[in-house]
Amino acid sequence: MIIDSLARALDDRLRLSPITRRALAKVFPDHWSFMLGELALYSFVALILTGVYLTFFFDASSADRVYQGSYAPLDGATTSAAYASTVRLSWDVRAGLLIRQTHHWAALVFVAAIVMHLARIFFTGAFRKPRELNWLIGVTMLTLALANGFTGYSLPDDLVSGLGLRILTSVVESIPLVGTWLAALALGGEFPSDVMIPRLFVAHVLLVPAVLVALISLHLGILVRQKHSQFPGPGRTEHNVVGSRLWPGYALRSLALFLWLLAVLFALGGLVQINPVWLYGPFELAQSTSPAQPDWYIAWGDGALRLFPSWEFRIGGYLVPQPFFPGVVLGGVTFVALYLWPFAERLRTGDRRQHHLLDRPRDHPVRLGIGVGALTFFVVLVVAAGDDILARLLRVPVYDLLSLFRVLVLVLPLLTGALAFFIARALCRGEAASLGELTRADLRRAARPAPRRPSGEDEPEVPVLGRPGERIELWPVGEVWRWRYRDEAGLTLTANRAVRSEEEAVEAARLAYPGVDRVVVPGPPPPPVRAVRAALRRWGRAVAAGSLLIAALIERRRDRRRRDGDHKSPWAEKAEATSGGDDPA
Amino acid sequence: MRGRTPSRAERAASRRIVGAFLVSAAGAVGFAVTYGLGGDTQWEGVCLAVAFAGLAVGLAVWSRRLIPTGGYVEEHEGFTPTPAEQAMTAAVFHEPDSPSRRWGLLAALGFALTALGAAALFPLRSLLPWDRQRPARALKDTPWGPGVRLVDGEGRPLRPADVPADTLVGVFPEGNLDIGDAPAFAVRLDPERFIRQPAGGHLGGLVVWSVLCTHAGCPVRIYLKGTGRVLCPCHQSSFDLLAGARPVAGPAARPLPGLPIEVGPDGFLRATDDFTSPPGAGFWSRP
Amino acid sequence: MRRRREVSLPALHPRRILAAGSVLVLAVGPVAFAPAPGPATPTPATTTPATDLGTQLYLEQCASCHGPKGQGSQRGPSLIGVGPASVDFQLSTGRMPLSQEVPQAERRPPVFSAEEISALVGHVGSFGGGGPQIPRVAPGDIVSGRELFAANCAPCHGATGSGAVLTNGWIAPPLYDASAVQVAEALRVGPGLMPAFPSQVLTDRQVDDLTGYVRRLRSERLDQGGEPLGRLGPLAEGLLAWVVVLALLVGAVRWLGRRAGQ
Repeated sequence: MIIDSLARALDDRLRLSPITRRALAKVFPDHWSFMLGELALYSFVALILTGVYLTFFFDASSADRVYQGSYAPLDGATTSAAYASTVRLSWDVRAGLLIRQTHHWAALVFVAAIVMHLARIFFTGAFRKPRELNWLIGVTMLTLALANGFTGYSLPDDLVSGLGLRILTSVVESIPLVGTWLAALALGGEFPSDVMIPRLFVAHVLLVPAVLVALISLHLGILVRQKHSQFPGPGRTEHNVVGSRLWPGYALRSLALFLWLLAVLFALGGLVQINPVWLYGPFELAQSTSPAQPDWYIAWGDGALRLFPSWEFRIGGYLVPQPFFPGVVLGGVTFVALYLWPFAERLRTGDRRQHHLLDRPRDHPVRLGIGVGALTFFVVLVVAAGDDILARLLRVPVYDLLSLFRVLVLVLPLLTGALAFFIARALCRGEAASLGELTRADLRRAARPAPRRPSGEDEPEVPVLGRPGERIELWPVGEVWRWRYRDEAGLTLTANRAVRSEEEAVEAARLAYPGVDRVVVPGPPPPPVRAVRAALRRWGRAVAAGSLLIAALIERRRDRRRRDGDHKSPWAEKAEATSGGDDPA
Repeated sequence: MRGRTPSRAERAASRRIVGAFLVSAAGAVGFAVTYGLGGDTQWEGVCLAVAFAGLAVGLAVWSRRLIPTGGYVEEHEGFTPTPAEQAMTAAVFHEPDSPSRRWGLLAALGFALTALGAAALFPLRSLLPWDRQRPARALKDTPWGPGVRLVDGEGRPLRPADVPADTLVGVFPEGNLDIGDAPAFAVRLDPERFIRQPAGGHLGGLVVWSVLCTHAGCPVRIYLKGTGRVLCPCHQSSFDLLAGARPVAGPAARPLPGLPIEVGPDGFLRATDDFTSPPGAGFWSRP
Repeated sequence: MRRRREVSLPALHPRRILAAGSVLVLAVGPVAFAPAPGPATPTPATTTPATDLGTQLYLEQCASCHGPKGQGSQRGPSLIGVGPASVDFQLSTGRMPLSQEVPQAERRPPVFSAEEISALVGHVGSFGGGGPQIPRVAPGDIVSGRELFAANCAPCHGATGSGAVLTNGWIAPPLYDASAVQVAEALRVGPGLMPAFPSQVLTDRQVDDLTGYVRRLRSERLDQGGEPLGRLGPLAEGLLAWVVVLALLVGAVRWLGRRAGQ
């Protein structure tokens, strides 16, 4: 066992075993939405892996270079070295195009994963104390991801990205007072400059990724230190985390996700063409192409540039040009709002408690409404960035579409935001467990102004103490002690790791379930026989395979039974069963 | 798992996992073979995808069928330290000989660090070489000026006859084809249709304008022949050339700058001055 | 010969965009002229039977809009002086004859056979006025063609040749279906809103280069990277990225993230 002895040797020198033991036993909540951030992380890993390969072949220079290779329409043409090397990489380096396309797809997926992760954090209130720090880091990483996406997109020096860079330069120049200086300092002169591509390259492969790596480490470090938040449920309190351990279960699952992500990215990279710069041609000053769009995550800015009316004004003779508002102000407001949200919400609700139990999105209708409205706003902007493509596909005049989007971008967010707000309120106040069960009465109730609840909008944690029959059991296993939590409903939660003494076990259990009685037992009962479960599963399969009719009948009967029992979900069912027998004594 | 006979379900899961890993290996071999045979982006991608998907499926089945999930709890210390603990830490900082008690020295240190930090910003100015023009001036100046001849994209000087009606010809200042704000275009219009005279004047209907959109600087190269309009492909601003290149739709707010031209003694077109206003997108100190 | 049409009844064509090479049309616009064969005098190039054919076809198919002598009418522009290239372009791309007035005629299978087209060309030529001849296209240099394309064609038709929108519901059509002669004709004539590129602007040699490159653009071999998504650019890619993320990745996450047995 080489690994064993290697591990021992390391431990002898660094004393890693206590840390390792704790780390391997870290508990991850069993809910899919907690894996969205992992998607972003793994996309970033994929970006680094493929990106490093690309740097071996990419020549970040604006100097003239003659392309010679198998792409006939450019063979012998003089272009910038950056462009020529990108075409070479795509057409003449084996596997080069695959890696390049995979890299680009990974970038699109990276930002998409970040956005979904951010939405999850936002709607569940996971940014609340004590996790504001990680929220700030996360928002910073989003801005860096956008920046790195844009710089990477611009590196090949092709016609489409050159137009994008020119537009961005114009947006920066529109900033009052300092705009022209900022743009000139960044570009080392007027657009287009010779140092533009090398500087973009350094930013793309060194500066921003280095900061991203540092921030990701910090993000994860803080996550480990603070532990995961979790949705409310039986046995879950503000003082514990319930779920699967990192080793062995979660590590395999997470690794599977990483590999699946790679599979999807390589499938995309191999099968779907992205950014065919050889077709776009090299950037030339006086050339343009149509349609011209940036990647989707920048497109909201492009959409805003299209939709914002042609307003400019002068302050004391100085010009404030149109791109300032949709470009600089909108972007600034967006990110400042993201940064400030946790603090603004705390100011509004006056909630200074620590939260490790998450809200369900519906628990906070105002937050949900604002979030949905904001997302709608940005989606409309992204779609508006494609107004020329839409106009062509639908054969409608592009300016009609422009007017339509100008209205939609203002009206639609209000509508969706209000809708989300009322649905959340209806779900909150009514009995319905899901959208489908909402009744007219629920909606009517939601439309009425809030009956001022004494506790305010922000419900405090669900008190889960005092579940019937709950107790902590401790038992020794050889030299070490273990403990677990049980309740009458049959819920059993085992401590994630063994400890060395009874005192430690008692302390851990006290932390996780303050105030719950503890008993020492000889040992855990034998686990429920797996064979039973296997047999059940086999039986289930047989039934399923049996006949659609029978399956449908069973389904309906189960439905009816569920309705009779008024059970909403597995854990609500348990909760109800137990609360039914709740006796203060 | 050792020491316990695996259940039938476990055996089935194991078989699936092994199968998935074998598929993965096949994908890997396929990738290597494809690469060796000369490479083909599609097959390489599919093979790699199969290789990774096989691993992913194998591990996923492994983790879901052979390893119990859930059912564990970890205690959470919380992040509210006791006041005593906080006081102890604070005390460390406020020990009698702690640097944090010497306010005067700290203020001087802060001053020195601020000065150093500010000084460290100065070299950033080198990002824009000192021999270059100041940015706002650079944006206003273009290579155009009295006597600069108009050339086409290949550097050939243009005569008036080289700009026929119904087409748009890209023009550059002679010798400066690479300057960002210089590109212009020439069109020949019917002077009788002018609603407003072009800012730079015209030579019997031959007019030259900057090609850079006044919105965000994209080349306005879509010429809708006959309507006398040009359209920017980036944000769909359109300009009416018959009305002095005034913006008529889209986000642009200012007309395209015109270029005053004449026919030189050699018969070629040449500028008589710079653009009538700075070309391209707007900026703070734009006149 | 261009008629301004501010009327735009947008023809709603929710149309599938092409997968490489499946789209239609070449250029342009409505306008131009109508084809017509005509009664007229035989041109040297056409034989008398052809002239008769031309006259007959013109009177049947074209005269109602363009007038019996090609003088034009409310419904169609004059054909005097449009030139053989224009007539051949409009007829061979199926844009003319139009069965009804539309803002912009689209590429369709041609109504007339090659022989009928040449008869109509001859007949319209008899109205007088000269105009661009049907160009003869020789194989060109695609490297030079690519540069010319980027400088002159890409702003409207897109660098990938997939076409793009203009204003008022007009489009610059995709170029994939155009034959070399049709491309050259469009360049010389400037059908519809398209600028013309007479020989002062593009030499015959350059036209050859350009047509060579345009013909090459349709080749699927240029889509080395796989499915081109209609060569529509980053937003189409972004849309696909989201679909894939939601379907394959979030789907996987939902499956992996659940407790087994739940």
